[in-house]
Amino acid sequence: MTLFTIDEVRKTFKNGEVEEEILKGINLSLNEGEITALVGASGSGKSTLLTIAAGLQPATAGQVLFEEQNLTTMKTDQVRKLRASKFGFVFQFAHLVPFLTVEEQLLLMLDVAESPLKKNEQKYEVNRLLKLVGMEHRKTAYPSSLSGGEKQRVAIARAIIHQPKVLFADEPTASLDSQRSKEIMLLLKELTKTLNITTLMVTHDEEMLTYTDRIIRMSDGVVLTNTMY
Amino acid sequence: MNLAWKEMKKNKVRFLILGSIIFLVSFLTFIISGLANGLSQDNAALIKDLPKGQFYMAEDADGTFNLSRINSDLQQKVISKEKEAVAFSIQMGFLNDQDDKQQSVAFVTSTESTLFSNVHQDEVLLDSSLQDKGIQVGDILTNNQYSGKFIVKGFVEQKKYSHAPVAYISEEAYQEMYRVADKQLIFVPNSEPNDIKGLQAYSNKEFLNTIPSYNAEQLSLNMIIWFLVVISGMLFAIFFYMMNVQKIGLYGILKAIGLKTSKLFKMIWTQMAIITIFSLVVSVSLSQLFNIVAPKGMPFTLTIGTTTQLSVVFLLIGFIGATLSGMQIKKIEPLQAIQQGEA
Repeated sequence: MTLFTIDEVRKTFKNGEVEEEILKGINLSLNEGEITALVGASGSGKSTLLTIAAGLQPATAGQVLFEEQNLTTMKTDQVRKLRASKFGFVFQFAHLVPFLTVEEQLLLMLDVAESPLKKNEQKYEVNRLLKLVGMEHRKTAYPSSLSGGEKQRVAIARAIIHQPKVLFADEPTASLDSQRSKEIMLLLKELTKTLNITTLMVTHDEEMLTYTDRIIRMSDGVVLTNTMY
Repeated sequence: MNLAWKEMKKNKVRFLILGSIIFLVSFLTFIISGLANGLSQDNAALIKDLPKGQFYMAEDADGTFNLSRINSDLQQKVISKEKEAVAFSIQMGFLNDQDDKQQSVAFVTSTESTLFSNVHQDEVLLDSSLQDKGIQVGDILTNNQYSGKFIVKGFVEQKKYSHAPVAYISEEAYQEMYRVADKQLIFVPNSEPNDIKGLQAYSNKEFLNTIPSYNAEQLSLNMIIWFLVVISGMLFAIFFYMMNVQKIGLYGILKAIGLKTSKLFKMIWTQMAIITIFSLVVSVSLSQLFNIVAPKGMPFTLTIGTTTQLSVVFLLIGFIGATLSGMQIKKIEPLQAIQQGEA
């Protein structure tokens, strides 16, 4: 079932007098529970496409439909609400809040998503998820005392604690070594399949593609291939 | 989730530095304010302690009460009309104590009134600061222009004029010393200005400003106080700005995951309020302690009203400073923060 539709999306940046078209009419749809990888060389437009789909920047033309809602015509606060409640984010760097413990990072996300859970239910959910990502034993630790892999595990837990429909991951393994990258990808795959979360991921690491269901190859702002595995 | 408190708990040193700066600036402001009020009392407590009303001096004195002459007929005319009205005169002069040591005083005489102390001829009532200089009740004091002698009848608290202690003397003694039966001023408490022929009306504030040096002294001190208040506001803005610049990446990520901008503002305001209130509690306590232990000769008066007023101004200035520095949060694009790398 299609959850996300990207329809004729174009993005143009102005560089002084020169206009540069980064996305040249992209069409694609994401199915529920699928992990889709966007791959391509630097400057192919994959990260721009991901951020437009996530409502982090507007498209110059075209539309992004999520559950039949058009993100491109929504007001800023409506998009923010959607990001807080229905989307999850994992970035190249973990970007954890430095003054919050591991447990508090997840509680903050529930707070942002305006979770209806009661305090004790929230704590239970946090513990459950930390157990799933193997970080339960570090729940009182601050980010400064975590390793890169541990930080990314916490970032993944934070991205899915509020049970989003879509997870956007922008090079989630780029800052990790190959062993840690495989661990993180395996974890992402397990979690998104268990929780039926649709994932759109940008990567340039070909090794990581073995963990995905669909691969979209981009070049110069257009989709070259859209392959389902 | 109380992000503001959690950040302060984790970064105690950073916030303690900001708090200590606010404490130092507010403490300095309270001390300067205490000195300004103290000097103001030292300069014009005699006038400032009077209730609100109208001061009248001769029109041709042109705002200089030393040159004002109000004759007995005009005094009687006003006093008979206004029951609480009082005619009085002030002259700077000297009293010689028993050791022939000269004490500078402001001689004050008035018609019968509850607003001024009245004494019999050959009696004098002094400001208590002279008691600290060794003068006691029953001492005999003299003045070169007065043929009689003054017996110290007692002391009154905090009655000063032009930085000199007040000496209340009788109308008869005053007439002999200054060879004038006229009074310089008439004061009518709790009244609106009346049109009296030959007299010019002044409100309490207007009259205080006619006192030589009072206005200049207060203007200078008030200028220092307001400069300090403005500087503390700028310090707030600069410190929060610097802290915010360091946290732009973090704010961007928080905005990307859906945190409302208003929550980030609430976080800054809460931190500002906690730091300011904490700093103010310490500086108010210390300045009030100083109010008690300040050396007796030092003109220092710091009322709870003044400290409360200044504290509210500090909170307001802090709020404006924090808000101005927080304006950049509104402009932060989540996308930029994501692309910047680890915060």
